[in-house]
Amino acid sequence: MTAALETLPPPTTVAAPASWRRALRRVLRNPLSAGGLVVVVVTLAAAALADLLAPYPYDLTNFDATLQPPSLAHWFGTDELGRDQLSRVLHGLRVSVAVGVLSVGLSLLIGVPLGLLAGFYRLLDPVISRLTDTLLAFPFLVLAVGLAAILGPSLTTATIALGIGGVPLIIRVARSETLRLRELDFVAAAVADGAGDLQLMRRHILPNAVNALLVQATVSVPAAIIGEAVLSFLGLGVRPPIPSLGVMIASAQPLFRDGPWLAVIPGLAIVLLTLALNLFGDGLRDALDPRESR
Amino acid sequence: MTANTGTLLAVRDLTVRFRTEDGTVLAVDQVCFEVAERELVALVGESGCGKSVTAMALTGLLPASATVSGEIGFAGQDLRRRSERRLRAIRGRDIAYVFQEPMTSLNPVLTVGHQIGEVLRRHQRMRGAAVRRRATELMELVGIPLPARRLREYPHQLSGGMRQRVMIAMALACTPKLLVADEPTTALDVTVQAGILDVLRTLSAETGTAVLLITHDLGVVADLADRVVVMYAGRVIEEADVVDLFARPGHPYTRGLLDAVPNPARHASGGPDPAAGQGLREIPGRVPVLADSPDACTFAERCTRTDDTCRTRRPELSAGPAGHPVRCWHPLAVPASSLAGGGAR
Amino acid sequence: MTPVLEVTGLVKHFGPVRAVDGVDLTVATGEVLGLVGESGSGKSTLGRCVTRLVPVTAGSVRIAGRDIARLSRRAIRPLRRQFNIVFQDPSSSLNPRLTVGDIVAEPLRQHRLGPPAQRRQRVVQMLDQVGLGGEMTRRYPHELSGGQRQRVSLARALAAAPALLVADEPTSALDVSVQASVLNLIVRLQREMGFACLFITHDLAAVEYLAQRVAVMYLGVLVEVADRVELFASPRHPYTQALLSAAPIPDPPAQRRRQRVVLTGDVPSPVAPPPGCRFHTRCPVAVERCAVDVPALRPVRPAGALVACHLVGDDGTAPVLSRPGLPVQRAAG
Repeated sequence: MTAALETLPPPTTVAAPASWRRALRRVLRNPLSAGGLVVVVVTLAAAALADLLAPYPYDLTNFDATLQPPSLAHWFGTDELGRDQLSRVLHGLRVSVAVGVLSVGLSLLIGVPLGLLAGFYRLLDPVISRLTDTLLAFPFLVLAVGLAAILGPSLTTATIALGIGGVPLIIRVARSETLRLRELDFVAAAVADGAGDLQLMRRHILPNAVNALLVQATVSVPAAIIGEAVLSFLGLGVRPPIPSLGVMIASAQPLFRDGPWLAVIPGLAIVLLTLALNLFGDGLRDALDPRESR
Repeated sequence: MTANTGTLLAVRDLTVRFRTEDGTVLAVDQVCFEVAERELVALVGESGCGKSVTAMALTGLLPASATVSGEIGFAGQDLRRRSERRLRAIRGRDIAYVFQEPMTSLNPVLTVGHQIGEVLRRHQRMRGAAVRRRATELMELVGIPLPARRLREYPHQLSGGMRQRVMIAMALACTPKLLVADEPTTALDVTVQAGILDVLRTLSAETGTAVLLITHDLGVVADLADRVVVMYAGRVIEEADVVDLFARPGHPYTRGLLDAVPNPARHASGGPDPAAGQGLREIPGRVPVLADSPDACTFAERCTRTDDTCRTRRPELSAGPAGHPVRCWHPLAVPASSLAGGGAR
Repeated sequence: MTPVLEVTGLVKHFGPVRAVDGVDLTVATGEVLGLVGESGSGKSTLGRCVTRLVPVTAGSVRIAGRDIARLSRRAIRPLRRQFNIVFQDPSSSLNPRLTVGDIVAEPLRQHRLGPPAQRRQRVVQMLDQVGLGGEMTRRYPHELSGGQRQRVSLARALAAAPALLVADEPTSALDVSVQASVLNLIVRLQREMGFACLFITHDLAAVEYLAQRVAVMYLGVLVEVADRVELFASPRHPYTQALLSAAPIPDPPAQRRRQRVVLTGDVPSPVAPPPGCRFHTRCPVAVERCAVDVPALRPVRPAGALVACHLVGDDGTAPVLSRPGLPVQRAAG
C-alpha cells in the first residue's frame, strides 16, 4: 500500500529557513494547494474537537431510528444500530489523523537515522539499502497480519504496522538528501573547522534535509490514512465500537442497497482528506523549491 | 576600421519589465544602441545590468512574465511587431545565438553532425549530401580539426571548447546577419577561450556577420570589440569606440570597472601594487534592483562624485569630454597622458 | 625555519582518474603561493588533499612539520586548528540554516577556544576585520550578497588564527567589482594576521596581484614554480607561456599587438595522461624526447625557479614561443 507512492525529487539547492513565510505565501497563491491546506486544517480542527462537535456519542444506539438517510436530525444519517453517522465520522477522522500522523512519525524516527547513516558511511550503505529493499519487497499485508496475530488487532498495532511499512520510503529520501548535501561546500567547511561525523549529521545535514522530509511526510500521511482504513476494513486494526472510517465502510458493504450513505460518506471523507493532503503536499514541494519565483 | 557600412540593428527605447512575486522589476530601461553590418559590438556590464535580457529581447525570447516596449529595428523591420511565426523564421536564419553553456545547449543523444544539419534542413531546406558538405565546411570555418570525423561524434565526446565551436558553427549555418553571443567564453578555460575569440574575430572578415557580444570580461572586450556599450542597472551609461573607452572612460562606473581588474601593464606603469599597500579600486555598495526608472542617476549611491543634481535628475546620454556619449552629470575629464597619441584605430 | 606547508610526492587518484600525480611544493610562513591551472589540472584536488578533505593516495603533507597524510580522521581533528579553507561558490559554502554568528564561531566551538563570551567577542572582531559589522551575527546567508558571503567564509576560516589558509578560487564566482574588494581583503588580512596562503585559481591577473611565488599545474603535475615577478616577466615552460599569452589584458592596443600562442588539441584525459611529458601533445616546440622521457621538476637559474621541461636549460634558457615579429605558433593536431 505505502509503496504505491513515489518519492518526490529533492529541491536542487538549499532553501533558506526564513523562506517559510515565502513558501506559505506561494502555497496560498496556488488555489489548489491553498484549498488543500484549508481542508486539512478544517479536518484537523474537526478531528481534534470531535468530542465537542459530535452531536451524539458515537456509540449511542437508537433502535427507533435505524438506517435513516441524512436529515436535519442526523446530518449524515444513521446506521443499522441507529448510531449517528456524523458523530462516528468525526471520531473516525480523529482515528485516521492520529494513525496517519503517528505512523509517519514512527517511520521518521526509524527511517531518518538509517537514511543518514546510509548516506554518510559508504560501508553501511549496502547493508541499509538491502534492508530497505527487503522491507519494500515484503508484502505489507503479511506484515500487518503477522503483527495483528502477535499483538492483537488494535489502533496501536495498525500504527506500528503502517509505521514500519513507511520506513523504506523515508530511508530513501533521507539517504538521497544526505548524499546530495555531503557534496556541498559548507559541509566540507565544517569538516575543515574540526566537526566530527555526529556534528555534521546533526547540525549541517539533518536541518537541511528537513524540507525534503517534510514534503515526503505530507505525502506519506495520506497513504497511511488509506492504509489504516484498509487494515481496519480487513479487521486488522481498530476494533468496534471505536469508529474508523475503514471499519465503517466495511460494515456498510452488506447494507449498500438500503443505506448507501453509510459507505459513501466515510469513503468521501477519506478521499477528501487524502486529496487535500496530496494537493497541499504538491504545493508545498513547489513552494519550497527556491527556483520557483514566478 | 572597415569601410562605412549600413546599420543592421537599431534598438530604440527598449524597456523590459518583469512580473515577480516581489513586485515588478525594471530590467532594461529605455536602452538605445546600434550595430552596423560586420561590426563587433560588446555589451558590457556586471550581473544584474540587463545585458542578457536585452539580448533575449531582440527576438522575443523572454518569458511571459516580461513586458517589452520600444523599437527593435532589424534590416528594415521592427521585430517587436512581428508575429511569433515570423520571429521563429528570423531566429537562426538572420539572427543567431550562442550561449554560455555548451554542455546544456547541445542535445546529448544526437550527433553533432545531425544537430548542425538540423539547422540547415530547417532554414535552408537542404537535403542529403549537400547538408553533410555544408556541415563539414562550417566545422572547418570554426577551426575544428578532422571535421568529417567529428560530425559523427556525440557532444559528450567533445571538450568544452570544441562544443562551443560547434555551437558557433550551428549559429553560422545560415550565414546570419547578426550573431548574438551571450558570455560565450565565460565557462571555458583561458587557453580554450583564446581559440574561440579567434573564431569570433575572423567572422566578420570571412562571413560578413556582425556580432553582438555580451560579456563582463574587459579583457575579452579589449581583444575583440570594435565598439563598446556599457550598461548599468538597466541603462546604457556609456558608448564608445573600444580604444577610446579604455583610454578615456567618461563614466565613473566604467572607470571603476577598469580599476577593479588587475592589469599587469598598470603595475609597470604605476598602477596599484599590493606590495606597496595599494589596493584594487573597489566600488562600494551593490547594483540596485529597480522597480521603476528613478528620476536620478542610478549609480549615485555608489559614486564618489555625486551631488544633488545626480540624486534628483536623470542624466541623459550626451557627448562627454572625450567626445563619446556618457550618461553622467559629472563625467570624468580626459587624462592628460592620453591626449597625445591614441585615437581611433 | 620550517615551512608551514610541505607537500612531498602527493598523489591522489579517484579510481582511474589520476587527479594529482606526484606534486612537491612548499609554502613558507607568511607567504602567498599562487597555484595556477586550468580545469582538469588537479589544483582544486590538491587543495582538498592538503586540507585532508579527501584521503590521500600517496605522499606526505606536512603542516608545521607534522605529516597529516596518513592520520585517521579523528587524529586530525585537533590539528585542524592550524589550517582551513575557503571555497569558490558563495551560494553553497555557508550552511543556510545557521546564522552568520554561528558559522564564524564554528572553529572556535570545535576546538573549544575560550569561554562562550570570549568566542562571541572573537566573532564580532573577525566580522569587523573582514569589513562586515558586528550586527551581522544574527543574519542568515541568504540575506547576504555573494561578496558578503565570501567575507563570512574568510571570517570563519580565520577565526581560530590558522597558520595556513587554502583559498580555492575564492573570487571566481563574483562580479568584477566585488572580486576586487575580496582580493584586497585577502591581501590586508594576510598582512595583518600573517598566515601563509595557498591561493588556487585560474585567474592569472589575480595571482600576479596577490602572490609572491607561483606554481603552474597541468594534468596533475607541476610544470613550473617561480617567483612571481620572474614568472610573469620570463615564463619558461611552454605551457606557462601559452597560459600567459592566452589571458587577454584589458588594454586594446596592447592586447591586439600581442603575439599569442594558441594551443590546439584538447586537454588529454587524466585517466590516461600522455607518456613522457604530459604536455607534449599540445606543445608547439615538442621534440621526440618529450614523448618518451618524463621531465623532472628541477631547479634552474635563477635560484628558486623550478621547471619540468627538457628544452629548458639549467641556466634558465627556454624556448621562446612568441615574440613580436614571429608568426603565431600553432601546434598541429
